[in-house]
Amino acid sequence: MSFRTKVFLSITATVVIAVWIVAAVVSALVTDSFERIDTQRTAALVGEFRHQFARRSDDVSRRIDAIANSETVQRLAVNLSGPQPDTAQYVDEASALAREQSLNFLELIGPDRRIVSSAEWPARFGYQENWLADNTNWSRGVFLRTEELADGSALGLVTVRTVKAGDGVLYIAGGLELDKGFVDTLPATEGMQVQLYRNMGAETAGNMPPSRLASSLIDEVRAQPRELTRTGVASSITAIPLLGIDNQLLAVLLVESSRAELVSLKRTIQETAWGVGTAGVLIGLVLSFWTASRVTKPLRELATSVQEVAAGDWGTRAAVRSSDEVGRLARDFNHMTEQLTEQRDRMIQAERVAAWRELARRLAHELKNPLFPLQITVENLQRARQATPEQFDDVFRESTQTLIAELDNLKTIIGRFSDFAKMPAPQREPMDLSSAARDVARLFDAQIHAPGRPLVEIRFELEENLPSISADPDQIRRALSNLILNALDAMPRGGRLTVRTQSAGSPGRVAIEVSDTGDGLTAEECERLFTPYYTTKQQGTGLGLAIVQSVVSDHKGTISVQSQPGKGTTFRIELNR
Amino acid sequence: MRLRACLWFVLSSFLSCSLWGETRPRYGGTLNVDLSMTFNSLDAEATPLVIWHLTGETLARMDASGVPQPLLASGWQREADGRRWRVSLRADVRFHDGELLNSGSVAPILLAALKKTHGDVAITAGGSTMVVESASGLPNLPAELADPHTAIVRTNETNSLIGTGPFRVASWEAGRRLSLAAFGDYWGGRPFLDSLVVNLGSVRATGDVFDIPLASPRRIVPETARIWQSAPRELLAIVSQGARPELVQALALAIDRGPIVNVLAQRKGTPAYALLPGWLTGYEFLFESAPNAGRARELVSSLRPVAVTLSYSPNDSFAHAVADRIALNARDVGLALQISPNSNGALRLVRCSLATADAASALTTAAQCLGLEDRPAVLDNSKPETLYQAERALLESNRLIPLAHLDSVYGLAPRVHYRDPGTANPITLHFDDFWVDP
Repeated sequence: MSFRTKVFLSITATVVIAVWIVAAVVSALVTDSFERIDTQRTAALVGEFRHQFARRSDDVSRRIDAIANSETVQRLAVNLSGPQPDTAQYVDEASALAREQSLNFLELIGPDRRIVSSAEWPARFGYQENWLADNTNWSRGVFLRTEELADGSALGLVTVRTVKAGDGVLYIAGGLELDKGFVDTLPATEGMQVQLYRNMGAETAGNMPPSRLASSLIDEVRAQPRELTRTGVASSITAIPLLGIDNQLLAVLLVESSRAELVSLKRTIQETAWGVGTAGVLIGLVLSFWTASRVTKPLRELATSVQEVAAGDWGTRAAVRSSDEVGRLARDFNHMTEQLTEQRDRMIQAERVAAWRELARRLAHELKNPLFPLQITVENLQRARQATPEQFDDVFRESTQTLIAELDNLKTIIGRFSDFAKMPAPQREPMDLSSAARDVARLFDAQIHAPGRPLVEIRFELEENLPSISADPDQIRRALSNLILNALDAMPRGGRLTVRTQSAGSPGRVAIEVSDTGDGLTAEECERLFTPYYTTKQQGTGLGLAIVQSVVSDHKGTISVQSQPGKGTTFRIELNR
Repeated sequence: MRLRACLWFVLSSFLSCSLWGETRPRYGGTLNVDLSMTFNSLDAEATPLVIWHLTGETLARMDASGVPQPLLASGWQREADGRRWRVSLRADVRFHDGELLNSGSVAPILLAALKKTHGDVAITAGGSTMVVESASGLPNLPAELADPHTAIVRTNETNSLIGTGPFRVASWEAGRRLSLAAFGDYWGGRPFLDSLVVNLGSVRATGDVFDIPLASPRRIVPETARIWQSAPRELLAIVSQGARPELVQALALAIDRGPIVNVLAQRKGTPAYALLPGWLTGYEFLFESAPNAGRARELVSSLRPVAVTLSYSPNDSFAHAVADRIALNARDVGLALQISPNSNGALRLVRCSLATADAASALTTAAQCLGLEDRPAVLDNSKPETLYQAERALLESNRLIPLAHLDSVYGLAPRVHYRDPGTANPITLHFDDFWVDP
């Protein structure tokens, strides 16, 4: 994960988490505040309902008192106290009196509890009102009652007065309807709704169909009349049971407070949070780019410098742009490269001296070997002058032969050094590496199968359809030849020589490996293996592997060695196609 | 002592003369009539009889016994077993425009009226005599001639009503006011009143005469007013317009007529069990029956589910009140009766005027008013058993429920006087016999 991504994720996570926490806290506070206000508003509305209820009760009492004291009722009472009361002429009086007192319900009921006149249902004259018999004491004041009407029923806030009529009493029962008009007088604030649902046996009836929440609340109140409050997603509802004179549930008053404002507010908070969060992400993106560019640019420059140093450009220096940690790092890097350059120069100098020493030692060693026979031979010749001519001739002949042989040997040695010095530039052409490997290995058949030589098994693991490479076939064959020769030299007691070609791990590269099962090399030997004139053999110039490395290097390839003492050595060359 | 006796005699004579003078008819003055109802036309069908017969007259009239008597006609002769009638006209009758009444002016008016009930009727006019013929018979032609629908009235070029009655139309504001002036050339002699003003749709009871309607708003009748009440002359009934006969029967058993008459009609009528009131036929008691809620419930339970509409005239508050009460009675026996102020219900509440003393004519009128398709055949008043059987057939068809026979009730101011005709069952007031104190 890049530094920029890390910065971006850090800033984004910080902003998002902070916004989420703020939104959650604000939302919780708003909900709490809203519910507190909602509770207060509901309580105020319920209080107002009770106040209006009491006020209407007083109104009803006062109006019914006025009717009870009216001349019409007094006349009717006198009429009823007579021997043959005639109530027919009073059949419309209830309507007139109810109109006069602005009452919705009014019934004048005779001592026999038969209706003399009814305002709410004029046709019911003569019918009995048996509910009056249930209670002889009408001092209980105003109460709720379901009034039957021609087209159904209505909820009434009623009271009963009695006027003495002979031996009996004339009942005046009347009141006001508790309807939508009454509910509408309640000062419901915006978002509050008051509904009155009448309990009509198996069902309820209201001005509008109740919501699911209200329905369940009504059902609960009907099951057990008590004040209840339930809160839903869209609203909170308080249900107040309205009981009749015998505590039967006549209606349920629902005070519904809409939570739409809260929901809207929460949605706004959420949307704001989303907006701020998104803005935070964008800001995080910008900041991460800015920060990354500000912080990582010196680092990237430093990394580039490191890569250049790694590529061999030891003169590279990182720009020091600040005095902070990155600036200190750049300064330290520059100091390090300076130190490394100095050390490298010293090492090169030392290696060069060592190489010259090695060259001198090797050259001396190589030249000393032929020179000694030459010296002996010349000394033999000098001594042979004192011998007989025949003997001298024999000695001379032998000595000249020896001198010629040793001079050839010297020429060969010098030729080798000359060849190494004159390594030409590769002449590239397409070539099949597997085929070249097989061909080179076959050149050693005679040497491998020479009489008296321990058995060396050759194994080819050559990849078919290996892509051809662009290389100098002679140089490649020479390099392979050196590796195979080394491998054979490494197995004086016999063993297995494996030649393997394959596609390299990197695309566009091929590899060839030459493995032996010889004694293997130590780690130190492996490190010095490609140093010119370094050899582990009794007979060798130490130029074989140096030539191989030179060929591989000229082909922009790489050579590596893996070896374990006692198990063998594997040389691996990777070349570009 | 003699002087004292003499003074006593003079004082007594003066008081006696004064009292006699109070009841003595006098000419002049205007009678103000306040009617709660309104009408927009002066023809016989729209105008209440009490007003209409002041301007229009028929060739015959029904006496208190229900026997037709000549009015504009001077007499009639029945010929060819009632298929031909020879009708003679009075010679001294003039229309309000001064034209003399003769067979030439009467025949076209009468022919148009009779054609409505007798398609094959023909009239031959000649001088003061007309011959009225019909192949199907005209057994009750004199009674028909007493029906206001056969009144001898016409309209002039200004569309004013021209009749032969004791008053002529002086001015007419449709639906609001009618002014009548005494017709000096009236053949029966000039009426006592100079004029008569009828205020329509009046809610007050401040006129000399005012009607007392059955339903709300009830008039506040001044304590000084006298009450005049007619014989039951209007039928209140429910007629079926396709309802099942069993349902009609159940409803008839459920309805308690007593409260309707005693309370809603304030005793201005009698419970009705037949189409015609008892005073007109004498046999109504034979149809009397008490409410039977139990039987009604049985019938209703066999009809379930039952829901039926009872319609009534939208302008008739009395009918509305009655419909409400009937719905209540129906509910008591499990019958869901909806009431509606239109004529689309399977049951319809109808009020039919029976303002005639002719039973056969009243039955025909009632059947026509109720919209019964199989009206009784032309009945002969001389055979009351056919009348009974015809009415019984109608009642047993379970298509109608008689509810009440209603009276007309008027209040009269103290200054109003009239000659008492002395009839036992007065149908209507006759303002042409009224006079007023100054």
